[in-house]
Formats: sequence, structure tokens, C-alpha cells
Amino acid sequence: MDDSSTSLSDDGSRRSRRRRLLTFADGALLWGARSSGVLVLLMLASLVVVLAAAAWPSFRAFGPGFLTSSEWRPNELERPMRNEAGQLVIEDGETVMEVVPPEFGALPVVYGTLVSSVLALVFAVPLSLGAAVFLVRVAPKWRIAGPLSFLVEFLAAIPSLAYGVWGLFVLAPLLQDRVEPLLRSVLGPVPGLGWLFRETVEVGGQVVTRDIPLTGRDMLCGSLILAIMIVPIITAISRDVLKAVPRVQIEGSIAMGATWWQSTWSMLRYSRSGLAGAIMLGLARAAGETMAVTMVIGNNNRISPSPFAPAQTMASLLANEFAEASSTLHRSALLQVALILLVMSLFINILARWLVGGSQAHAAAAH
Amino acid sequence: MNETPSKPAMSPVKVEAIDPLDSAVLDMPRQAPRFNVLSAIQNDQPHAPAIHPSVAHGKGIVEIKDFSLYYGPKKTVHSVSLSIPVGHVTALIGPSGCGKSTLLRSVNRLNDLVDGVRTTGDILVGGESVYAPGTDVIDLRRRVGMVFQKSNPFPMSIFDNVVYGLRIHGERRRSVLEEVCERSLRGAALWDEVKDRLQSSAMGLSGGQQQRLCIARAIAVEPQVLLMDEPCSALDPIATLKIEELILEISQKYTVLIVTHNMGQASRVSDYTAFMYLGRLVEYGPTSHIFQTPTLPETEQYITGKFG
Ligand SMILES: Nc1ncnc2c1ncn2[C@@H]1O[C@H](COP(=O)(O)OP(=O)(O)O)[C@@H](O)[C@H]1O
Ligand SMILES: [Mg+2]
Repeated sequence: MDDSSTSLSDDGSRRSRRRRLLTFADGALLWGARSSGVLVLLMLASLVVVLAAAAWPSFRAFGPGFLTSSEWRPNELERPMRNEAGQLVIEDGETVMEVVPPEFGALPVVYGTLVSSVLALVFAVPLSLGAAVFLVRVAPKWRIAGPLSFLVEFLAAIPSLAYGVWGLFVLAPLLQDRVEPLLRSVLGPVPGLGWLFRETVEVGGQVVTRDIPLTGRDMLCGSLILAIMIVPIITAISRDVLKAVPRVQIEGSIAMGATWWQSTWSMLRYSRSGLAGAIMLGLARAAGETMAVTMVIGNNNRISPSPFAPAQTMASLLANEFAEASSTLHRSALLQVALILLVMSLFINILARWLVGGSQAHAAAAH
Repeated sequence: MNETPSKPAMSPVKVEAIDPLDSAVLDMPRQAPRFNVLSAIQNDQPHAPAIHPSVAHGKGIVEIKDFSLYYGPKKTVHSVSLSIPVGHVTALIGPSGCGKSTLLRSVNRLNDLVDGVRTTGDILVGGESVYAPGTDVIDLRRRVGMVFQKSNPFPMSIFDNVVYGLRIHGERRRSVLEEVCERSLRGAALWDEVKDRLQSSAMGLSGGQQQRLCIARAIAVEPQVLLMDEPCSALDPIATLKIEELILEISQKYTVLIVTHNMGQASRVSDYTAFMYLGRLVEYGPTSHIFQTPTLPETEQYITGKFG
């Protein structure tokens, strides 16, 4: 009896030493985790601060008008001066020239970003949800869910440059030579759709209406590339969200006599906030995507209602101009665009995470 | 297991009361009513279930006919034949994992969702085959309602939950939906509690209310049979009591087939009881008979909690 009790206390002290060590390791890990968390926050904060500081000159020069102006002119402009009546001012028989300072307005790129991202969603969402439903409800029966899921995740990992090159050499020529002429011949004559293919521009001081030259490198091509790029991420997250639907929910609707489509609809309905989150994450990705879009969107800082006209997004503007920005104001304006993009992405991401997280907690509670 | 005290006065009386034409009963060993059936089942040898003559007529609303089910290579239900009388509550009892849920879910073919399921034999619901090749499964499930172990209201309003079945079968008329909603909620003893908040989410109801809502949803389409798989196992005693009262009430209009783990519940709510063991039917008869004077000592042993 005595023997066993000493060995027991020995054992006890060894255990308590061990426990102390573990407590220390726990504490160290906790602190490590906390400080990396803080570090990430600090990085984000410093990013915002640095961008805001760099954007300050532009903000001071243009104020809130930066968001509503369509003029993006990095160089100063020399042009004939006109008086209030709009007539040329002539002195000593010569037209007087005036120099207009550079001007920056972000409206076209904000518009380009929003429209290209939303169009991308229009193309990508049905495809992604269809693929996710297939992965969750059909593929397991055929035992191809594993390989297909891998494929989807692989697509998400392809560098955007690769998509861009493909867009430039395959998609854009295809659009230019086949799809867009076909669309023009079919939709062009439809009353009320003329704006799709015609534009009003100022050429050499004259306002003319003409056919939009179909180049294949336009808003449509940019949106399609974006759609292809965000399909994998929306599919993967939607798949996880749909997988989290409790079995008893699906069985519940099937036991009521729901058809395959009706029970699928119940599933989608059950996970709607998670799916909305998946779509928002896709949107955030589309809004921030740079390389591929820059290669195919046509890079024209003009607002055109037609998807067949070249356009520009915030990210593609930065990619195009940042390296060559010579003046402080130009660079500052570009950084202000970057700041707008950052804040926008941040909001979309937070909203998306909140939606996805909420739906998963919801599903977990129902399990 | 083997030291069962033999039961005096039981087996002779019982066997005499049984229809001599019922071969299953005649085949039973009369003299040594030890655990023969259970050991036969454990050794995968043929056995004859004890079927009370009152349920041996084969005119039930649900007729399970020599039905077997395999999950892949694993045989889970072994040639079960069971006749569920119309307008009564029939309880399925037996140790956990003996295939009660599997058998229940075979009636509305919910096992179709599981990969690699194979069946032999057949089940008839209202005289129509469940497993014949041309069966309209959607229509079958419409005629066979189901209430699950875990309540599963859909994330929509109380009203939308109750009329879900009608809606998916194409009913759009508001007046019809409203009428059915009220009738079903009254039928599920839930109307008074929710009538002022039909449009609020069903997820906000308590566990017991959610389960009664699921019952309302199931009876809204007026099924011929209502399947219940341990509907109270996730509920507190008071909610359980309410559901039990509700089952008794419902049984005036509907045929109920209920799986339960709880012997007390089976004896309280059911008119007939089937005892299953390792995927086989062991004994089936009126609940009073099964609980007071069972034919087989095994059944008595299980009911008194000596094994399982
Ligand atoms: N989907 C399934 N796939 C494979 N085996 C299953 C499945 N569902 C149940 N089983 C097995 O079938 C047997 C019976 O299960 P079940 O019908 O749920 O029993 P009970 O409801 O009586 O507890 C168990 O051994 C269980 O492991
Ligand atoms: Mg079960």
C-alpha cells in the first residue's frame, strides 16, 4: 500500500510539472496567435493610412467631385480660349490659347468596375450554382464528386495572367469575329436596342453618331473573363454551403413528395444567406481582379452604356497608368482610386463573410 | 441470457388462443420457450415470428411482404412480413440498430436516397405496390406522411411550412391554403399557440412546437399513413406528453406507424406492437397482448428491460 502511494505522488508531481510546461506552451501559443492577429490588423490599418495620405493631394484638389467627374486627363491641355458666349477669343488676329490643368475624376472606372463585376455575376452565378448543386446532389452518386471538386479548386488556383492570355488570344478574337457580328445582325435592328451598337462621340470638335467598332476587347469580354475567373470560387463556397444543409431538411422535403427540383430549391432556399455570401465573395474577387481584365477590357476611360464598347476598371486603370504616372497629382489620383477600391472590397468581403458565417452557424445549430 | 426463468401458465394458454391455420405460429416450439428465436436469429438461422391472429389477415393499409433490404452487401432487414391495420397506431420496437428506422423509411422509399440500397419483396400501401418498377414515388410520398426524430421545420413562416406539401403539389388558391393551414394546425394541437403569428418564422418555435408543426405539415396533405420515427426522442417530458396525446388524437383519423425506443410510449399510444430484433420481426400483435401476455419469452424479456 505504501509503495503504491509514493509512486502515486511521484506520478502526481511529474504530472503537475508536465501541466506547468503545457500551461506555459499554451500561453506562448496564445500570445503568438494574438500578436499575429494584431499584426495583420496593423498591416491593414497602415495600408489604409498610407493610401489615404498619398491620396490626400488629389482629395484636396478635387474633393468629393472626384467620384462624380468623368474627366481623366493626366496632362495639361492647350486649347483655344472661348469667351462666355462660346466664341473664340481673337487678339491681334490670332486665337488666344489657354492652358487647362490636368483633371481627374473616377466615375468612369467606378462605373466600369461595378458594371463589369455585376455582368460577371450575371454570367457566373447560374453556372456556379448549377455546378455546386451538381457536385452536392448528383456527382456523389456517380462517384465523381472528388475529382470534380479538385478540378474546381484547381481552376481557382490558375494565375490570372493565364486567364488574361487566353482571353486575349482566344476569347477576344472569337467575340470579334463571330459572336459580336452575329449579335449585331440579330439585335441591331430590334427597335430600342440600337444603343447597344451605336455611340455618340466627339471627333475633332464635331459630335457624330457611329457604329461602335467591334474589337472583341470590350466590357463584354472583360466581364466574361471575370465570370470564368469567379466561377470556381463561387462554386467551391456554394458547394460547402449546400453540403452543410442538414440531411433531415432535404429528407423532410422529399418525404413530403417534393420532386428533385423542388427539394433542390428547398436546399437553395435553406442556405440562401450562405449562397449570397458566396456570390459576394465572387463579386469582391471580380471587383479587384486586375491582370486578366486589363488585357481584355479595352482600357478606355469612358462611360458607355454598351457592353460592346471598351471600358476601364479601377484595377485596370492602376495597372495601366501607375508605372508611368509622372506628376504627383496623377499618382495621388491613382492612389485615391486604389483607396476607393480597397474600401469597397473590404465592405463586400465583410458582408460576404458575415453572410457565409451566419448561414453555417445556422446550419450547425440545426444539426 | 440463458438463465431465463420459465414462465408458468404462459405459453400453453397463448398457443391455444392462436389460429391453428397460422403456420408461422404452429411452427413455433411449444415445449421449450427459451431464447430459441433470438439465438436462431443471432446464428442467422430461419425462425418463425409469432404473429397474433388479429393481425395475420393481410388486409392492412400497409402490407409489408417478405421484405428485405441491403445496405450494400449488408442485409439490414430480413424477410419481414407485417400487416399494418388501418386506422390504428402500430408501434415498432426493438433494440437500437435493429432496423426499425430502415423498415419505416422503406415504406415511403426514403432509402432511395442512400447509395447502394437493394430490396427484395414488396410493400403495398393502400393496395398499391411501393417497389414495383412503375411506381410513382412522388405520389407515394404524398400518400405517406413522415415525422422525423429531429424536428425539421423549413426556414420559412409557420404558414408556409404547413402548406408546403399543398404548394409543391400545385395548390395556389389562397383560400384553400388558409383553410388547410388552420385545420392542420388545429389537428396538431398547435393552432391556439400560433394563430396570431402564422407569418413569423417557424424556427422561432420551441422544440415541441416545432415537432407539432411537422405533424401539422404532414397531415396537411391528408396522407393515408403517417410514419413517425422516434418523434419524441429529442423532446422534454412535457412536450413528449403533448405529442403522445396528439398521436392518440390523430389516430382517430389516420393510420400511424411509429418507431419508438420507449416501451412506456409504445404501450400508451399504440394499438398494435411489432418487436424487431437484428432486422427480423420477432413478435407482432395487439399492444395489450405484447405487453401483458406475449407469446414469446424473448418479447417479455425485452419489454421488461432485461436486454436490448
Ligand atoms: N444509410 C445507411 N448506410 C449503411 N448502413 C446503415 C444506414 N442506415 C442505417 N444503417 C445500418 O442499418 C442498421 C439498422 O439501422 P436503423 O434502421 O437506423 O436501426 P434503428 O432505427 O432500429 O436503430 C444499423 O446497423 C445501421 O448501422
Ligand atoms: Mg432509428
